[in-house]
Amino acid sequence: MPKPIITVKELQKHFKIQKHRRGLTGALRNLASFHTDLVRAVDGISFTIEPGELVGYLGPNGAGKSTTLKMLTGLLVPTGGEMWVNDRVPWKERRAHVAKIGAVFGQRTTLWWDLPVIESFDLIQHIYQIPKNQFKQNLDEFRDLLDLDRFINTPVRSLSLGQRMRADICAALLHNPPLLFLDEPTIGLDVVAKERIRQFIRFINHDRRTTVLLTTHDLSDVEKLCERVMIIDHGKLLYDGALADLAERFGGNRELVVEFSEMYTHPEVEGAEIIQCEGLLVTYGFERGSITASELIGRLSVKYRIHDLKVREPEIESTIRRIYEEKLLE
Amino acid sequence: MRYHLDLYIRLVGVQIRSQLQYRASFLMDSAATGIVTVLGFLTLALIFRRFNHISGWTLWEVAFLYGMVEAAFGTMDMFFSGFDPQNFGKQIRLGLFDQILLRPVNATVQVLASDFILRRLGRIIQGLIVLGLAFANQDVQWTLGKILYLPVIFVSLVMFFGGLFVIGATITFWTVESIEIINVFTYGGSEMMSYPMHIYQDWMRRFFTYVLPGIFIVYYPALFILGKPDPFHMPQFAYFLSPVAGFSVLLAASVFWQFGVRHYQSTGT
Repeated sequence: MPKPIITVKELQKHFKIQKHRRGLTGALRNLASFHTDLVRAVDGISFTIEPGELVGYLGPNGAGKSTTLKMLTGLLVPTGGEMWVNDRVPWKERRAHVAKIGAVFGQRTTLWWDLPVIESFDLIQHIYQIPKNQFKQNLDEFRDLLDLDRFINTPVRSLSLGQRMRADICAALLHNPPLLFLDEPTIGLDVVAKERIRQFIRFINHDRRTTVLLTTHDLSDVEKLCERVMIIDHGKLLYDGALADLAERFGGNRELVVEFSEMYTHPEVEGAEIIQCEGLLVTYGFERGSITASELIGRLSVKYRIHDLKVREPEIESTIRRIYEEKLLE
Repeated sequence: MRYHLDLYIRLVGVQIRSQLQYRASFLMDSAATGIVTVLGFLTLALIFRRFNHISGWTLWEVAFLYGMVEAAFGTMDMFFSGFDPQNFGKQIRLGLFDQILLRPVNATVQVLASDFILRRLGRIIQGLIVLGLAFANQDVQWTLGKILYLPVIFVSLVMFFGGLFVIGATITFWTVESIEIINVFTYGGSEMMSYPMHIYQDWMRRFFTYVLPGIFIVYYPALFILGKPDPFHMPQFAYFLSPVAGFSVLLAASVFWQFGVRHYQSTGT
């Protein structure tokens, strides 16, 4: 068993938020006394991540995702709990720590606004003291995979969002970090750009064995990339496990679409209800746990003549939405 | 150390190159920042046409303070622009300081290298011209000590103003709404020091003696170099406190800055 690359124990981050009273008298009273609210942005979460994993970190806005990421990258000092990343406590040895991670925060660029992309990369080579041949080798490979050539001599300020994101991801990996943090890497991108970035993340994880922790709003990112997901809400970790199990546990009703060989009026069956009836095609809904698909098919084939059938799993997106909305995990 | 110096030069070099890319705009900007200095000095000269003296100082004696402060403030502004509270406050608001903390480089070096304004050369040159005129139009009893002291005063001024910028920038970790008040100290402070300290009210002068030791930075050295009497009867070594005062302010500022960075890391924005 390899040693975890990230270990987090009972991590907490509380913020004191100043309450602003409104109006002139309010402003004066603000000066006289500070009213603060305590916000538990991260409230005692624990997890470990093994080298080589690709983990999706999900949660609605304000759930504590960014705060966790800021602590893992050494930007924020925790209020309580313990945390090791690459065998270091991030905030205690900030410089040594950030030299061994890559981080892309979707909304902001780490590149120099007025410089051509390639010159930003050159500066990064000097900042991270990347050996010449490693730099050249990485750059050649990433240029190709991320298709950077068309805009590598363009100043960063003139890049499209998708181009900038690709340049930023490249920049974050030139120094071969064993660990990559991605905060909303596909936000605001079109389908083609999203797919290119996903492919690259897969490559980095599979071929380079880089451990990746990514937050996203786009569940198709998660579906296509991550085997493991963690879900956070109100600062607490609600779920940590395989994506498939999540669908298994909270997926709601599955559907069985049957094409019969002959017409039946109301071909009812015990344990499932008819959702839709269209000629020979009938859709049944059935609950996970109360009946399996094969049992249902067995019951149906005793009563009716079946030509073809198909089981439909609920989409992950609606599953996770249900988890937030119905608070299934609390 | 070597690494940071190397990196600093590289980062600043990149900016100088991009600023020189548009030569016309660079020359215009430089001239414009210089003209402000010259106009300020002409206003001063006009006042002197009516009064001849301000509290016992002639135009050219005041011009020494004025030229020195302008050239030094311009130099500071060129090097410390990354700490300009106005710029830095904006960086904090946009979360760009996070990007600085994400790089394995000393944060202070990065902020220092984040903005280098070459066009401040305009202000520096005009300031030096005023200083030259000041020396040309009065009889200074030059000694070797006085000549050697001049660059020391200059560097002390740069450290003093740099310290004010760093303190101002640090305050924006807590509040970005008080930029105007911070500007009163930085820009107002340089304005004040362009004139002889004895024209100000007692409370103001005390503030600039005991709280923020600005009076020793250029006023006392000026008394020494121009051979003016000391209206406050300080001990003689007060003439030579300039580097001590300049360094202390910058040192105090950098301690405050470190404290501010730690505060930022515990609260975010």
